[in-house]
Amino acid sequence: MKKIKIKQLIEKIEGEAELDFTFNDGLIEDVKINFGFYRGIEEILRGKDARDALVITPRVCGICNHAHLITAVRAIENGYENAGHKIELTSKASDIREFTLACELIQNHIKWLYMTLLPQIESYLDCKSEENYAIKATYLSSTITKALAIFAGQWPHSSYAVPGGVTCDPTHLDVMQAQSLVDESITFFEQVVTALPLDEYLNINLCADLHKVGGDFGKLLHLIGSSGMTEIGKSHDRFIVFGEGMLSKPGKSIVTNISNVNSKYVSESAQVGTVAKSVTYKERLYEVGPLARGMVAKTPIVKNLHKRYKDSLLTRVFARIHEVATLLEHARTLLNNLKLDELSCTLEPQHTLKDFEGTGIVEAARGSLIHKTIVKDGLIVNYEIITPTQWNLSHGNKEELGVAVQAMKGSKSIEEATFIFRTFDVCSVCTTQ
Amino acid sequence: MKKKSNKPKLLWLQSITCNGNTHSFLNHPDLFSILAHFEIVHHPILESKYAMQDVISGVVPCDLLILEGSFTETGFLKGGVEVSSLVELYAKKAKNIISAGTCATFGGIFKQKDPENISGFCFDLEEKTNYYTKYASKLISLPGCPMHPKWMSYVLLMIANQKPIDIDHLHRPVELYGYTVHTGCTRNEYFEWKIDTKNYGLKEGCLFYEQGCQGPYTRGSCNKILWNDISSKTRVGTPCFGCTEPAFPQSSLFVTKTNMGIPAKMPLGIPRRAYLGLTGVAKSFKIKRFSTRLLEYDK
Repeated sequence: MKKIKIKQLIEKIEGEAELDFTFNDGLIEDVKINFGFYRGIEEILRGKDARDALVITPRVCGICNHAHLITAVRAIENGYENAGHKIELTSKASDIREFTLACELIQNHIKWLYMTLLPQIESYLDCKSEENYAIKATYLSSTITKALAIFAGQWPHSSYAVPGGVTCDPTHLDVMQAQSLVDESITFFEQVVTALPLDEYLNINLCADLHKVGGDFGKLLHLIGSSGMTEIGKSHDRFIVFGEGMLSKPGKSIVTNISNVNSKYVSESAQVGTVAKSVTYKERLYEVGPLARGMVAKTPIVKNLHKRYKDSLLTRVFARIHEVATLLEHARTLLNNLKLDELSCTLEPQHTLKDFEGTGIVEAARGSLIHKTIVKDGLIVNYEIITPTQWNLSHGNKEELGVAVQAMKGSKSIEEATFIFRTFDVCSVCTTQ
Repeated sequence: MKKKSNKPKLLWLQSITCNGNTHSFLNHPDLFSILAHFEIVHHPILESKYAMQDVISGVVPCDLLILEGSFTETGFLKGGVEVSSLVELYAKKAKNIISAGTCATFGGIFKQKDPENISGFCFDLEEKTNYYTKYASKLISLPGCPMHPKWMSYVLLMIANQKPIDIDHLHRPVELYGYTVHTGCTRNEYFEWKIDTKNYGLKEGCLFYEQGCQGPYTRGSCNKILWNDISSKTRVGTPCFGCTEPAFPQSSLFVTKTNMGIPAKMPLGIPRRAYLGLTGVAKSFKIKRFSTRLLEYDK
């Protein structure tokens, strides 16, 4: 038995990470994932006004900043409720928040498809095309973030969600503009991403019908399928979702059994050799993200793929891109039903609570994002941020390897393992905050 | 054999950052025609000629260095190498340096974690750092959290066309930062007549008096060159948080600091006496249009 250790710098993952691979007899036995720098957002927040978190926390991450905003505002609203002052949002305010969040997820997933997965799989399989995938990515991502900015003012780094609702006061003119941008995004999805009308795509429930998917998504599925990658990248097959939202209800899935969860059983712990903390639920490791949402929500096509390929690279990749379709459809419905005559914000600015403790949870692009705030005398005394990538990229515990590490275990090359690693849509900055 | 490119070689290097400026720039509608003026030797997301490992090895050519993120002398490493040494290495090679965003320019949010040791590259808040003397002649500052994609493209195209860029004492292009965020705000009438907004979520009223808006004294063209070509914070009722300013972020961002009921900080360049005089006159009139909802007035 021959053990070899190899260090590899992985880039273009919203920053970088260093992976230390241990090979045993030619197969990967363990991987240490090291993220370099702790930026200390939680410490920066201490002593600041409770609402400053709405401005500071989006700066955790350039690609999922909006999810941090919505989580931060939910943490404050939950704190008000815990202190006996429940805030009722109008359906308009909650629908607008859900819409802008959907836009950010679409932006993220599309950049991942075109700027990470397709270029990486082509270079891994040595079949590099001359295509400018980035121009496709940025066309759709900038179109959909325009729709977001109609309500939120800008992307990245908006702070338009405030306790009690949203700061915008849209008119029909704004909604029409947003609808038109969503329609443009749907057209792109239909003509370029899948080469299928959206409703036909969404009607696919069986693996056997996946051959209908064309376009760039079809090309990606074909590359995965024809290169024997459908079976690799399997992990613990255990999933968890905490956020209540358009994609899934909260719950956990173990061997396809779905049960309830409570965020109070989530615990963080420091890890040796990296500034990223690991997270467990009742001391067990779970995968979060689109695949987890698909499993918990029992999305037919995700379940069907899982039945055949388990939690392999194929199922994981599919679940993420599939969310784009679901989100586009949902975004269109939200705009069509927006009740413009309702209030945007129900909380009067003078009704500010000084003492509360609250938890905010959102399903962000990469999975459940949790913020916990403790406020005394109007100031933050403690702020805790648990990001999705902390779940997926931890080293694991005494009993088990971390989720992504387990997925890479048994792989025969660094190239294959790093491709598996990237299917988790790694975000370095979120992991280290 | 591949023809050797004579385009300026662009290296985008990240220090302590959230990648917000990178993603902001990717929103530019003319991204690829702008980038066509350059050869991208390295970029944090876009496919580029050299890998991060090459950047770390110091072998990458560089004419234009774009810095993103706050700067620290020690403790921030990539591949075992201090990023500060990489910044210096490429700053020396480069003919132009752009500090993209408030972090790279002044220190920004991440400075607050360790104010003694974290700063911008050439400025620490408004103070010049040791690097200023060495590199100021090449430096263009583009503060903003994040910077606007079109501010970046203005600088890139000026460089590509070899045109000189007029800058102020903090090296910000005056064509971009000679304005305040207040310029072009759709709430300007309410500012003129000193009408406060009654709550969030209303298109009527100004956010300067109660809600903490820093637009009247924050430099930037957010309401002239709109965000995502669509809107801005103040247009959707969110106060300006002064994210282009050296001291960003200040505290209690949703509250206007006042002295005897008057905003403590005056609009840029306006003497307090002039402001008070005008306020007195404006407030002495009751104007029906401003006490009615905007779209109800003509009905």
